[in-house]
Amino acid sequence: MIKFEDVSAVYHVKGNGEFKALDEINLHIKHGEFVSLVGPSGAGKSTLLKLLTHELKPTEGVVTVEGMNLNDLPQSEVPYLRRKIGTVYQDFKLLSNKTTFENVAFAMEVCGVEPEEIAEDVPKVLGIVGMADKMNNFPHQLSGGEKQRLAVARALIHRPKVILADEPTGNLDMVNTYDVVKLLTKINELGTTIILATHDHEVVNAIGRRVITMDTGKIVRDQMEQGKYVI
Amino acid sequence: MKKKIKRIFDVAWTNFRRNTYTSIGTTGIMVLVLILFSGLMTVNFLSDEIVSSLQDKVDVSAYFKQDANENEILEVKKDVEAMPNVKSVTYISREQALADFKARHAGDALIQDSLAELAENPLQASLNIKAKDTSKYAEIANALEGNKYRTLIDKINYYENEAVIQRVEGIAGGLKNWGLLATLVLAVIAVLVTFNTIRLTIYNQKQEIEIMRLVGGSNWQIKAPYLVEGAVYGVIAAGVTAVLFYPMAYIISPRIASLMPEVSVISYFISNFFQYIFLILLAGVLLGTASSLIAIRKFLKI
Repeated sequence: MIKFEDVSAVYHVKGNGEFKALDEINLHIKHGEFVSLVGPSGAGKSTLLKLLTHELKPTEGVVTVEGMNLNDLPQSEVPYLRRKIGTVYQDFKLLSNKTTFENVAFAMEVCGVEPEEIAEDVPKVLGIVGMADKMNNFPHQLSGGEKQRLAVARALIHRPKVILADEPTGNLDMVNTYDVVKLLTKINELGTTIILATHDHEVVNAIGRRVITMDTGKIVRDQMEQGKYVI
Repeated sequence: MKKKIKRIFDVAWTNFRRNTYTSIGTTGIMVLVLILFSGLMTVNFLSDEIVSSLQDKVDVSAYFKQDANENEILEVKKDVEAMPNVKSVTYISREQALADFKARHAGDALIQDSLAELAENPLQASLNIKAKDTSKYAEIANALEGNKYRTLIDKINYYENEAVIQRVEGIAGGLKNWGLLATLVLAVIAVLVTFNTIRLTIYNQKQEIEIMRLVGGSNWQIKAPYLVEGAVYGVIAAGVTAVLFYPMAYIISPRIASLMPEVSVISYFISNFFQYIFLILLAGVLLGTASSLIAIRKFLKI
């Protein structure tokens, strides 16, 4: 489903030369996997996820999602790629002047879904993440945990093949972290591939699935099953 | 399609309502800009009026000798009227000239008595010629010089008026050119102010736009509501401008009329009501949408 072949990504830092964020990454992620991507800050986890959403292009190598070579993807096709991928970020990235309902609805509207279907599906998904009673609240009226659950609902709404979660629990307390991880696990059980970038070892150990450890832009360990956070 | 358009308008209107202070601020700036436009329209109208009233005051008269026969003068009139640059030709007979003169000096007993003393009417018949353009008087005077009845003409007063005519022409030309230049400069400033205001409004939503891109919004899906929002600023600003501008025109109109009695600013804007509304609406909507379009481009690159 997702393939990285000899992928390198180099950032050009003004007046400071170059910084190699990813160094010849080779990786294959199959349908329905739950992959925890671990490693210290600056290991390259976020860069790897940004290549999948086409926020960045690899300096070398090929990234493929569902057989689609992202290197050749024209800019006009990028929205279609992003509609196949759900994203959850540490800073939530919610639309601050839209309500909970509208935040989720927006992801459906961009896919051209009919308003009737949106009106039917959004409350259901908000129900799944336990936000049904906050439909008309704005993001600033929600707690951190609620914001992240809303972000998960938005990532989920168009039934994506894969969800990328970049440090989704970074800003949450233990209880909310547990809720979000439980949600992601449940989504994965329904067949969606999850790639979770985190440096929270308790979360990784609790999930106990495939764990890829990164350091200085390289994959240093890939535990296919029952993985643990090891640095 | 209809649903999509409705969604765009709904989102634009919701954005407008929810960002109350920003919307009011942006609309307020656009109102100022449109009032400036309306002011420029007023200045253009006034300078046109000044130019045409100055030009109207200028004419050329051909005075005929005492013995010139009326039919011959009318022949000359016909010839002059046939010239393409002539706006109007008025024939003033000797009798008419005398009657006008008497009427003009009705209160002056000395003049009335002197006239009564004279056995014959001392005034000359004349043709009063107005050109379509002040620059054409020289041509008209030349044509009169070449007319077959030139011998009947005693004098053509173009030569006495030449300096005045050229001066009027200079002032009129200057007013038009400088007026155009001032309008252009102010219009550019107005466009820059509006553009910058809308740019700041959109800059506030920079992160939102990036998020919309990340969840799969295409350029047009994101852009369209912002363009409509820009147009909404323009429409509301045009409405507010009209509501403010007409009372302002009503107030300044008598003041201008005291300087230029034949000019009424308010009647001009009332008789051109629909054109005025159309123009400020067009200016508002174009300014709003174009500024939004340019401002948003930068944030859609992600």
